[in-house]
Amino acid sequence: MKIYLSLMLLFPLFGAAISSLFGRKLPRRLVETIACAAVWGSFVCAFLAACTYRAPEKVTLGDWLSAFDLLAPLSLYLDPLSLSLAVMIGFVCGLIHVYSVFYMAKELDYARFFALLNLFVFAMLTLILAENLPLLYLGWEGVGFCSYLLIGFWYTDKRNADAGRKAFITTRVGDTALVIAVAWLFQLTGSLSITQLNGMAFLLPGGVITGIGLLLLVGAMGKSAQVPLMVWLPDAMAGPTPVSAMIHAATMVTAGVYLLARMFPLIGGSATVTAAVAVTGGVTAFYGASCALAQRDLKRVLAFSTISQIGYMMLGVGAGAITAATFHLLVHAFFKALLFLGAGCVISAMHHEQDIFKMGGLRRTLPLTFWCYLAGAACLAGLPFTGGFFSKDSILAALWLKGGGLYRGLYLLALLTALLTAFYSFRMVYLVFCGENGRPHVHAELKAMQWVLIPLALLGLFGGLLNLPDYLGGGFLNGFFARLSGGAAAEASHLEELALQGVASVLALAGLLAAHLRYGGKARAQRLKESALSSSALTMFLLNGWYFDRLYHAILIRPYQALSGVLWRRMDEGVIDDSLDRLAAGLGASGSWLGGWTTGRISVYIFSFAAGGALILGYLAWLTL
Amino acid sequence: MEAILFYLLAAVTLIGTLCAITARQAVRAIVYLVTSFFALALIFYLLGAPLVAAFEVIIYAGAIMVLFLFVIMMLELAHPEKLAKPRLSEWWPALILMLVVIGSVAVLAAARQPAPPAAFHGITVREFSVTLFKRYGVAVEVISMQLLFALVGALYLGRRR
Amino acid sequence: MTVPLYHVLILAATLFSLGLACVVAWRANVIMMLIGIEIMLNAVMLTFVGGSAQWGIADGQLFALMLMALTSAEVSLALAMVVYLHRRKRSVNTDDFDSMNG
Repeated sequence: MKIYLSLMLLFPLFGAAISSLFGRKLPRRLVETIACAAVWGSFVCAFLAACTYRAPEKVTLGDWLSAFDLLAPLSLYLDPLSLSLAVMIGFVCGLIHVYSVFYMAKELDYARFFALLNLFVFAMLTLILAENLPLLYLGWEGVGFCSYLLIGFWYTDKRNADAGRKAFITTRVGDTALVIAVAWLFQLTGSLSITQLNGMAFLLPGGVITGIGLLLLVGAMGKSAQVPLMVWLPDAMAGPTPVSAMIHAATMVTAGVYLLARMFPLIGGSATVTAAVAVTGGVTAFYGASCALAQRDLKRVLAFSTISQIGYMMLGVGAGAITAATFHLLVHAFFKALLFLGAGCVISAMHHEQDIFKMGGLRRTLPLTFWCYLAGAACLAGLPFTGGFFSKDSILAALWLKGGGLYRGLYLLALLTALLTAFYSFRMVYLVFCGENGRPHVHAELKAMQWVLIPLALLGLFGGLLNLPDYLGGGFLNGFFARLSGGAAAEASHLEELALQGVASVLALAGLLAAHLRYGGKARAQRLKESALSSSALTMFLLNGWYFDRLYHAILIRPYQALSGVLWRRMDEGVIDDSLDRLAAGLGASGSWLGGWTTGRISVYIFSFAAGGALILGYLAWLTL
Repeated sequence: MEAILFYLLAAVTLIGTLCAITARQAVRAIVYLVTSFFALALIFYLLGAPLVAAFEVIIYAGAIMVLFLFVIMMLELAHPEKLAKPRLSEWWPALILMLVVIGSVAVLAAARQPAPPAAFHGITVREFSVTLFKRYGVAVEVISMQLLFALVGALYLGRRR
Repeated sequence: MTVPLYHVLILAATLFSLGLACVVAWRANVIMMLIGIEIMLNAVMLTFVGGSAQWGIADGQLFALMLMALTSAEVSLALAMVVYLHRRKRSVNTDDFDSMNG
């Protein structure tokens, strides 16, 4: 087990090291092969670890931080949660790597790209496998750092670089909260080991747990793009599409959900925290879905859908259904990767046009992409019997079963969100693939890229098999996660579950129908015409993400800029620089004035010397008098 | 008697020096100075230092002043019309300095009058030599080295090129 | 010897200040400057000898002798330099040699 775990981490790390150190010297094919092989090797290790997995295991690879009573060894923890995520990450990232080889075929700076991708995978694996919080934080920051570099990969364009900075700075807000929580936990318990901390939950007072839980929630908000720290994710579309797929599906944004699920035994004891998590998730889910309704950029639609889906996962965690949340996380990873990679194919075929109102007709020219994309959209919308349907439904069921006014309200909000989700998913499909007005450009790489979609589509569609409801024979994940503390969700009767699923499927189909009526067939042309005109206030409101960017600009960035301006002009230039300048000028002037005394005339020197001596002598005499 | 002689010699010394520094020609200044140094040598003798007095006459009045004379003649500076005399304005700072120095030293010396000396009959040559070569042997060596260096330096500066 | 020490010292101070005045005033002639330095050194010697007479020990006279040796070294070098400089600029005015200004 130790060898699998260490290799799982070392493969991507070595891949990154080789690509970054020698990438420019090596032939392109070799770099690409190494990068892909590293990730697939990591996946194989994860798979083998899964095959030999018997019970949760802790593996210590070596010492890392040990000063006084602060102990943070390089130790990894393998339990169902981390194992399932590791397998998923290895697989999805492996596919994304293969896809990137074709997608970035014309990119000159391939070595940097693949080095960062590998490092990204390494950081994410470190994050999920870490047994103690500092190691987890290392992965956490590694993910943030790689995402910053990858979002701003085409950094020569200022917009891209700004998007990278925005992502980095926004997630930093959450990271700060996480660091505070880690330090607080250490101060309270003297331990940083996650397993120990989870076991100590009952020792800590409720108020403290609430505080820590809320800090962790803020950390997760930043990383998982939850309201109110979600503004960076739509802009993160500036990166290359495979990077978006990676950030949205396998790495980065799921880190927050993972953190909360991981620490759930600790923080789950506080009802305030779970309610806060659930409310955050519910509001975010609704926010993301509503914004996705109005977006015109294909990738932004998917970005908002990610925000919304992560919101669902947070809802699941908030409802105490770790299994359901993880289930949705896994399935979402598959279909969101599928959608992003499909979007990459579409964008590549449309000459990098991202406006969905300018696309169309791709159903016939890119049939393979179309069918895979359709599968992804069906999963996203939660059409019955797709993976997304089962996973989303398990979250909804957990919410329903949790009971209480708050959770019932959130259940209704989640249902509304499901309706919106189905609507915008198929709005996107109709606009992109139906109609006539597209002139796609099908090149050789595109054909190769399409094949990557197939395994993801299959996994997305049949992902439900991972965790079927009880009446269909019970789920694999349920049994797998049963021993995980907080994993076992409340049991629903079969009838109740069927009813809940019926409601969800009716809503999904209703959304599909609405999308068909509004965007399908002849109505599509009408909508295209409307899109050229100016939009209504509501559309603008949704298109701009509820104007959150502007709000933050007004309440945070503007004052900050003003303060910086004052500090710059008044403090830095006015006080510090000026005082130094004046001092230097004064010294220079006095120096040249004194230099004037060195006339080179001995007579002046002798006279000054004698006058000085006479002065001293006179002073001594005066003292004597 | 000795005291009277001292004050007379002091007057001669001062007058000779004053004439020397206000002389119109360098050669005259040297001659005045030699006079002054003779008087000074006598004062040394009165102060019980016969050896220093002898050296004063031999080295200062004899050798060094003659060296000055040589150089003055060599440089043809004896012509009075060539010498730029200091103007009166250039004497003012010198006079002020003089007053300050003399005043200060007079004040200091008068304020700290030591006890009158014990019966003192001069220092014999034997005593002098014993002190010189026993206590200050190293200093003698150092000074002899310095004289050598001065010799070498003077030769270097004076060589024809 | 019945002359008090401070009379000797005042005589030395007067001599010294005369030498100083010579050095300060005769900026036009470097030889006169050197003569001023000699006068000052003689004043110092007088101080030494006076001190020696006051306390009856030989050290003061000894330093007077050493001073003489040093002076002869100094004078020989200084005059050699005067000759050298005069050869270069045909001048003994110290204000003409001001090339080492700041």
